[in-house]
Amino acid sequence: MAVIMFFILSVTTIAGALGTVVSRNAYASALWMITAFVGMAGLFVMLSAPFVAMLQIIVYAGAIAVLILFVMMLMDRRVLSNRYRFNPQYFWGVIFAAGIFADIAVLAFKLKINLANAGKNLAVNGSNTQMVGEVLFKHYLLPFEIIAIVLLIALIGAIVLTNKKSEEAE
Amino acid sequence: MFTAYLIVSALIFSIGAAGVMMRRNFLVILMSLEVMLNGAALMLIVFAYYIGNVSGQVMFIFVAAVAASETAIGLAVAIMMYRKKGSIDINDFSMLKK
Repeated sequence: MAVIMFFILSVTTIAGALGTVVSRNAYASALWMITAFVGMAGLFVMLSAPFVAMLQIIVYAGAIAVLILFVMMLMDRRVLSNRYRFNPQYFWGVIFAAGIFADIAVLAFKLKINLANAGKNLAVNGSNTQMVGEVLFKHYLLPFEIIAIVLLIALIGAIVLTNKKSEEAE
Repeated sequence: MFTAYLIVSALIFSIGAAGVMMRRNFLVILMSLEVMLNGAALMLIVFAYYIGNVSGQVMFIFVAAVAASETAIGLAVAIMMYRKKGSIDINDFSMLKK
């Protein structure tokens, strides 16, 4: 059962990723990306990470994809569907991507880890969310604060970059 | 199963990398970057499950936050360049060359 679910979800995710890269229309690309994210959330559920799966759906499929789609709606339709999808150096792009894949695949086959703890220590009192929260605020408090500042600075930067007044003043 | 998950993660990461290197539309490049980050995040979750330590899932939260800020900045740059050039083709973005 788990193998069948894994097969279905991974095929969905990989098809979504491929569709994102090859589709001619940018809107179709965004929809394929959402497919990939939802399939990935299913894979997270299979790896007993339900909190992270919900986070994936809310943040990626909910926030990031909608943000990108909103920006597309602001732009001219003809700008988005260009006649040339790919760069002239697409051949080298494929070669390098295949190299990256071969590299990680060889690592995956060679890697031997101790699987005795597989699927354990992921929940406390049967709740994965509680475990994640405890570890986050006990051991990763400083990175959490830093990531909050990074997010704040990025959003202020986005406002400054798109501000029309500062552009006119130049 | 462990190896299969790692292979899927590697495949998604490399498909995203191919998209970043090949496409000309800036927004599609941003989306491919998201796919790459998601492939790396899948590997974090796989190791969290098979090692039996929840830290990988905590790291996913940080990856998601960085992805969100990267998208915000990238879209701001896209809007700025669209206003300046009327195009989001990355071959029109080479302003620093001139």
